[in-house]
Amino acid sequence: MFKKQLLVLMSTVLLTFAGNVIAAKEPIKFGLTLDYTKAYVFATPSFGQAIEDYVKYVNMKGGIDGHPIELLNSDHGNEPQRGIEAYERKKREGAIAFEHLSTPVSKAVLPKAMNDKVVMMQMLTGRADAADGEVFPYIFPVSPTYWAMAANIIQYIADNVKDIKKAKVAFTYLDYPFGQEPIPIYKALSEELGFELKLFPISLPGTDQSGVWSNIRRFKPDYVISWSFAQLHNIAMTEMKRNRIPVDKYISVIWISKNDLKSYGFEKAKGVKRVEGVVTGTDSPIVQDILKTLYDAGKGSGPRENVGLLYYMAAFTEMVTVVEGMRLGLEKYGAPLTSEKLKMGLESLKDFDAKGLMAPITITPADHQGGGKTRIAEWDGSEWVPQSDWNAAYSDLVWRVIKEHSAKYKSGQ
Amino acid sequence: MFYRQAAIRHTSYDQTKKLYPIPFDKWLVVAVLLVALLAPFAMSGLYLNSYLLPWVIWSTAALSLNLLMGYAGQIHLGYAAVMAIGAYSSVHAMRLGAPFEFALILGGATAMIIGVGFGFTALRVKGLYLAISTLAVQYLVDWVLTHVPAIGGGTQATLQTPTPALLGFEITTDIGRYYLALGWCAVVTIFMLNVKRTGLGRALIAVREKDYAASVLGVNSYYYKLIAFAVSSFFGGVTGAILAFTFFGAVTPEQYSIDISIQILAMVVVGGLGSVLGSFFGAGFILLAPLFLNNMVTGLAEAYDFGVSRSVISHIPLILYGGLIMLFLLFEPLGLAKIYDNIRKYFLVWPFGFSRR
Repeated sequence: MFKKQLLVLMSTVLLTFAGNVIAAKEPIKFGLTLDYTKAYVFATPSFGQAIEDYVKYVNMKGGIDGHPIELLNSDHGNEPQRGIEAYERKKREGAIAFEHLSTPVSKAVLPKAMNDKVVMMQMLTGRADAADGEVFPYIFPVSPTYWAMAANIIQYIADNVKDIKKAKVAFTYLDYPFGQEPIPIYKALSEELGFELKLFPISLPGTDQSGVWSNIRRFKPDYVISWSFAQLHNIAMTEMKRNRIPVDKYISVIWISKNDLKSYGFEKAKGVKRVEGVVTGTDSPIVQDILKTLYDAGKGSGPRENVGLLYYMAAFTEMVTVVEGMRLGLEKYGAPLTSEKLKMGLESLKDFDAKGLMAPITITPADHQGGGKTRIAEWDGSEWVPQSDWNAAYSDLVWRVIKEHSAKYKSGQ
Repeated sequence: MFYRQAAIRHTSYDQTKKLYPIPFDKWLVVAVLLVALLAPFAMSGLYLNSYLLPWVIWSTAALSLNLLMGYAGQIHLGYAAVMAIGAYSSVHAMRLGAPFEFALILGGATAMIIGVGFGFTALRVKGLYLAISTLAVQYLVDWVLTHVPAIGGGTQATLQTPTPALLGFEITTDIGRYYLALGWCAVVTIFMLNVKRTGLGRALIAVREKDYAASVLGVNSYYYKLIAFAVSSFFGGVTGAILAFTFFGAVTPEQYSIDISIQILAMVVVGGLGSVLGSFFGAGFILLAPLFLNNMVTGLAEAYDFGVSRSVISHIPLILYGGLIMLFLLFEPLGLAKIYDNIRKYFLVWPFGFSRR
C-alpha cells in the first residue's frame, strides 16, 4: 500500500518536473539598457514600463512558441562608456537584440553591434540613414525616420495652405544633432516646392527661447515646425502666446505627449499639432487587454496612468514588432533564435501594423524603415485627433537623402 | 616588517632623490606593472574592453590634467574639449594619409596650440575666474564639432577611426589596443613621476603655491603657467586620440562632452591633487564604481524583489556613489592617494606603531 503511494507520489513529482522542462524552452533574451537617471528621464520610465508590460503579457500567454522572453535590464545613465559596458555584458549573457534609447550610447554601440552582428532596435529614434538595410544590416528603425516625418509635415502644410509657393515655414529646433537632423530634407523640399524656409535654432538646453520667438513673429510664418521635446514645448507655447502667434500654427515632431501639455493647460493648447508614428490612447484592443490582464490584476510594471501615453505606446509598438520578428524568425528558421534569425525574421515582416498600433510596415533586407507612413494629429483639448490618413510623402527624395548619408557612413564618416 | 628600512643609507644626493628609496615600494610597482602586462591574458573580453582599458585611458587623462591642476595649480573645466581637439585632429590627419604615430603627435600638437591659446587667459585671471574661462573652451569646441561639417563630419556623423598601425604593424586585436593605451599611460606616468624632481616641476609647484612669491624668487610665473598648459594639453590631446582609436573606434561630440570634463576633474580631486597614484585611484573610482554599484544593485534587485520600480532601483547606485564620494572626502580631504599613504605609513613601522606616538 505504502509502496504504491510512494510510486504515485514519485511519478507525480517526476511528471511535474518533466512538464516544467518541456514548458520552459530556452528563453529569448532582449537587452534593455536604458537611461533611467540622466537626460532621458522624461521618457524612460514609461518606455521601460511598456516593454516590461508587453513581455509579461507574452510570457503569460505562453511565450513565443513556448520560448519565454527574458529582459536583461540595466541603466547606462546616457554615458557612452557605460553603455558599451552594459552592451558587452548583456551580449555575453546572451542578449540577441538591444534597445538603448540614448543617442550617445546608440552612436557608441552601433559600430560594435554591426561588427558583432547583433540586432539593435531604434524605433522612432536614432540615425535616420539606418533605414538603408544594405549598409546597416543589423540596425532596425522599423518605423518612420525623422526624415520621413519631416517630409510628411511639409505634405500636410502643402495641403493646408492656399499656395505652397508663397507659404512661409519656420523651422525651430534644438541646436544639436537631434534638431539639426531634418534640415537637409526641409532645404531640399523648399527648393523643390518653392516655399520660403527659415531656420531658428534654439541653443541648449532650450529653456530660454524668447529671442527665437520674437524673430519668428517678424518672419510671419504660416506654420512653425518644431523639433524639440517634453517640457520645452511648454516654453515654446508660452512664447507663442507672448508674441501673439496662434498655437494652431505649431507642428511638433512626435515627442510631445499629453502629459507634456499639462503644465501649459489642456484647454489653452487646443489646436497644437504633432506628427504621429504610433497610435496613442487606450482604445485599441491590445492595450485594453493589457489593462485587463496586467493592471486589473495588479501586475503592471508601473503607474496605470502611463499606459496609452506617447512614450509608453512608442515602446509598446516596438516590442510588439520585435516579438513578431522573433516569432517569424523561430517559425521560419527554428530554435534556438539567434541575432541573425531575428534579423531575417524582422526582414520578413509584411504589412504588419502591430495590432493596429501603427501604419502597416513592410521590412525588406534593403528597407529597414518599412514605408515611413505617419499622420498629423491635432490636440482638441482632451485627445489627439488624427487630421489625415497614414501617408508617406516625397519618399523618393527621402530615400535619396538616406542613400547619400548611408554612403557617407560606408566610406567611414 | 613589510617595508624593511634597515641598512638603507643615503650617502649621496642622487640616492636621496631616488623615486623609491624603500625596496618594497619598488617591488610593488614592478608587481603592478607585471599584473597590468599579463592581465589581458587572464581576463575575458568584457573586463578587458569595458573595465581595464577605459581605466587605463581615463587614468592617463586624469594624470595629464593633474599636471595642470595638481602641480601648477591652474584649474581647467574643459579638459574633455582638449581631448576632443586631439582626437579629431589625429583622426582627420590619418584619414588624409598620415601615419598613425605622426597623427598622434599632430593631434597632441594641435591640442597644445589651442590649449596654450586659452592658457593665455590664465595669465590674467585666477581661481574661479579661470574656471569659467576654461569652461568656454568646452562650449566653443562643442559648438564647432556640431556646426562645422568639415571638422565634425555633419549632424549625424560618426567619424570612424582608421586602423592604427604602430611602426608598420596594424593593431587590430583587443590586446593590441590595450597595450597601445598601456604604453601611452606608462609614458605619461613616468613623465609625471619624474617631473617633480626637475627644475620644471619645482617651478610649477612654486607657481602653484603663490605666483608672485615665485616671481620674487626668480621663477617666471607667466612662462611656467603657459608651459603647464602646453604640456598638459599635449598629453590630453594624445590621450583623447588614444581614447578614440582604442576604446570607441569612432569620434562623436558626445564622447567629449562637458560631463566627461567634470568626471576627469572629479578623478583628480577625489584621487588627490598632485598625486600620480591618486590619478589611478580617482579614475578607477569615478569610472568603475558606478558600473560595479549598478551591477550589484541590479543583481540584488533581481534576486530579491524590492517591490519598487526600475526607475527607483536605478537611482540607488547614484545615492551610494554620491555617499561614497562624500565619505571618502570627509574621511580624508586630500583624496584616495592620501588614504593609501596613511595605510602605508602605518605599515612602515608596523608592528612598532607605538614608536611614532
